[in-house]
Amino acid sequence: MTEIALAVREMTKRFGGLVATDNVSFDVPVGSVTALIGPNGAGKTTLFNLITNVYRTDRGEVRFGEVSLGAMQPARIAALGLVRTFQAARVFPGMTTLENVLAGAHLTLRSHPLRQMLWLKGARQEERVLIAKGEAMLELFGLRAFRDVAATDLPMGAQKLLDVIRALMARPRMLLLDEPAAGLNDSETAELGAALRAIRDSGITVMVVEHNMSLVMGVADQVLVLDAGRLVASGTPDEIRQNTEVIQAYIGQDTESGPC
Amino acid sequence: MDTAIQILLGGVLQGAIFAMLALGFSLVYRVTGIVNLAQGAFCVVAALAMYSLESVFGWAPLPAAAGALAGTTLFGALLGATTFVPALSLLPNSSMLMLTVGLLTLIEGAILAVWGSQPYALPPFSGEAPVVIAGVRIVPQGFWIIGTAVVVIVTLWLVLARTTLGKALRACSDNPAAARLMGIDVERMRLLSFTMASLVGAIGGIMVAPVTSLEFDTGRFFTNSGFMAVAIGGMGSYIGAIGGGLLLGVTEQVAAGYVSSLFSNALTLGLLLITLLWRPNGLFASLGSRRSDAREELRVQRAIVRLSGPRAGLYAALALLGVLVLPYLVSSGVLSSLVITGILFIAVIGLDLLMGYTGQVSLGQAGFMAIGGYTSAVLATNYDWSPLSGVVAGMALSLVCAIVVSLVTMRLRGVYLALATLAFGLLVDSLAVGLTDTTGGPSGLVGIPSFSVGDYAFTTPRSMYYLVVGLIVALLIFFQGGIKSGFGRAIQAIRTDHMAAAAFGVNVERYKMAVFAVSAVLASLAGSLYGFFFHFLSPEMVGTSRSFEMIAMLVIGGEGTLVGPLFGTALLTLLPTIFQPFAVYKTAAEGLLMVLAFRFLPAGLFGTAVAWITRQAVRRKSDAGLGASGLKRSLP
Ligand SMILES: Nc1ncnc2c1ncn2[C@@H]1O[C@H](COP(=O)(O)OP(=O)(O)OP(=O)(O)O)[C@@H](O)[C@H]1O
Ligand SMILES: [Mg+2]
Repeated sequence: MTEIALAVREMTKRFGGLVATDNVSFDVPVGSVTALIGPNGAGKTTLFNLITNVYRTDRGEVRFGEVSLGAMQPARIAALGLVRTFQAARVFPGMTTLENVLAGAHLTLRSHPLRQMLWLKGARQEERVLIAKGEAMLELFGLRAFRDVAATDLPMGAQKLLDVIRALMARPRMLLLDEPAAGLNDSETAELGAALRAIRDSGITVMVVEHNMSLVMGVADQVLVLDAGRLVASGTPDEIRQNTEVIQAYIGQDTESGPC
Repeated sequence: MDTAIQILLGGVLQGAIFAMLALGFSLVYRVTGIVNLAQGAFCVVAALAMYSLESVFGWAPLPAAAGALAGTTLFGALLGATTFVPALSLLPNSSMLMLTVGLLTLIEGAILAVWGSQPYALPPFSGEAPVVIAGVRIVPQGFWIIGTAVVVIVTLWLVLARTTLGKALRACSDNPAAARLMGIDVERMRLLSFTMASLVGAIGGIMVAPVTSLEFDTGRFFTNSGFMAVAIGGMGSYIGAIGGGLLLGVTEQVAAGYVSSLFSNALTLGLLLITLLWRPNGLFASLGSRRSDAREELRVQRAIVRLSGPRAGLYAALALLGVLVLPYLVSSGVLSSLVITGILFIAVIGLDLLMGYTGQVSLGQAGFMAIGGYTSAVLATNYDWSPLSGVVAGMALSLVCAIVVSLVTMRLRGVYLALATLAFGLLVDSLAVGLTDTTGGPSGLVGIPSFSVGDYAFTTPRSMYYLVVGLIVALLIFFQGGIKSGFGRAIQAIRTDHMAAAAFGVNVERYKMAVFAVSAVLASLAGSLYGFFFHFLSPEMVGTSRSFEMIAMLVIGGEGTLVGPLFGTALLTLLPTIFQPFAVYKTAAEGLLMVLAFRFLPAGLFGTAVAWITRQAVRRKSDAGLGASGLKRSLP
């Protein structure tokens, strides 16, 4: 039996009359890449917000490993190793690219904030190691050249990648990525696909919301399909490709936009 | 029994005024998502305008009232159209709040320049002889107040609930983007709400002027009460504004009637804090729709303002050299102003950490100066403590107060910290005035010794100057390092995007609280030094005006730049010294400069200068053929 990284049960959330997620249950196995797809407004982002307690659930439960996330603060959830990105790239303005990367590593800092502020020996050492690691990450994703540039001046694609790097710097056990490929061109998307596989192979469980079907089908071990708040299908990429309900969800009602 | 009814009635009268003020807040808040702190100042403008029309121009009361209302409303419309409304699409919420502080300061300063600082009162509308009903005496003005309040409340309700205009206003508050799509001119609605609120404020001011004396800075008390009333009743709720206003009025009068007016301030602050703890959305907030802010939180867009490398070191060394020789070049009057600049800058550094780096707004920073100043001064003067231990005691007390205030407000939206600090500052003000035995009351505390460490006493301005410079250099070096460290990244992340910060595990509340505590301690230190330097401390030296002034210094100098606010502090402190006639216009200039800075120099004087220097440097490099792009150079 595979170990479960994230278990979501009967997750329900209403906004006024709108049911944004409706009784959604699923498991994400440890070490897998799980893709979450669905048309615009299906409730994918809402689901991420519910898992990380940015929104309060009306009903339902989330377990991360052994821990029930209940009413835990978002910061505590991150500390458990469940780290997310946001749909629109949310790099920190007023900081350089490298500083953004380092900000992502907040949780890995061991020395007391006061020691950090005073640049005492241990903290200095820690910062050096962190910078080296951050630079290596930037190198890996081809952003090294932007090291000292204001992060908000980066092209959109680079900002999205920076978002992913920043999340990785937190040394998560599991990553929730919300449309990381939006705004990326084809070659960047291919790179991202390779990066996602590399991330999984390094032992990090990944759950990714994505509209780009070739990316999804290329990297996912499991695909979940959400439509109007309901989980309408789940399975391997091949199963999903055959599934008529998915075709319905995407093409039947939403002809003009399609699977983006 | 009669006294009880009498007091209750007084409370209802006061509550009716508060309710009107609260409605003004509520109106602007619902349409724009911003609490307009300048609101209370319109009351004073209207009342004083009516006073002048009557006594200077000899108008009859009715036309004078109409003229004052029209004038004030026009003034509100102008101010809204040129500052508040355009800024809404440029500034994030915390900066908007500070902008309204700027407007409040600007209006107070204008009143000061036109009407001076003496108190005014209008004659009652219809005689002074109280009407006696069943043994209860009611001043005729009371009927005017209640009657007007009812008319205003009903009219506003009819406009909002029954007219197309009201529908458009409500649409803006529910969802501005959708309202725009529906063809509603959102900008116009925002201006309209601002203007209507100034009219409501003006009406309140005219009604209350015969029973209260008004001064140039009375507006901030109206602002505070109205703001408290909406917070207690429920931000953005119509019934809440009315209920909150009445509750606040009655509480204040009962506390003042049975205990003392001193206690009444403390009690209302307590009432507010308890309400916020118990029902964070206010007593009357409809539970069903807990809508988020009407306004999408604008992301804080900010450029990186930073000099680095050998050039920065050079500038810093030159600046320090200049600062060190300065005392030998200036007159003793200017030297004193420089010392004051330095002392205030210590508090402003804290404010910069709080506002510029962490994005929190404190409107009561001088309250901590007062705590530090009075604690150390009283201990040193009356109890023979050494100044140094007095300073430490003051800092400890400030720390405790800061933690209590922030514990209550931290989990709520940012505007509540601003509110709590404003109320806190006004409370400290009234304590400093009221606890005459300890603080010397309004006339101040005299005979404070010089600051000393061990056997060395800093008796001359020059020795104080070097002490303060030393402290500032140490603080700047410490915080410069702190901001570059992991701690600094965390607080800046909170300012620009607290949700993303939390997603990376930053304990947002704890960091905010830590920075608030640090800023309070720095303010406390500054307050203590202030008293030791002047050998004297009075409530207005460390009152709410000072809090506002320090915000202006911060904004004009450049928030989030650490050293930048020094320029704002120096400018506002030295100008009145060097150019005496300017002193009368100081407050107005403060407000004006602040509003202008928000509009035209969002990075402040320092930020703008640094951006210019950086651009020049880049240009020089590209002229020298090194390539303009920083990207290429940093490639390995
Ligand atoms: N805070 C909120 N208040 C009210 N309604 C909301 C809120 N957040 C989301 N919704 C609504 O919930 C529904 C689901 O939105 P969600 O953002 O989760 O969709 P999504 O699947 O992420 O879509 P997209 O592909 O466009 O990102 C939408 O109809 C949206 O309008
Ligand atoms: Mg989404």
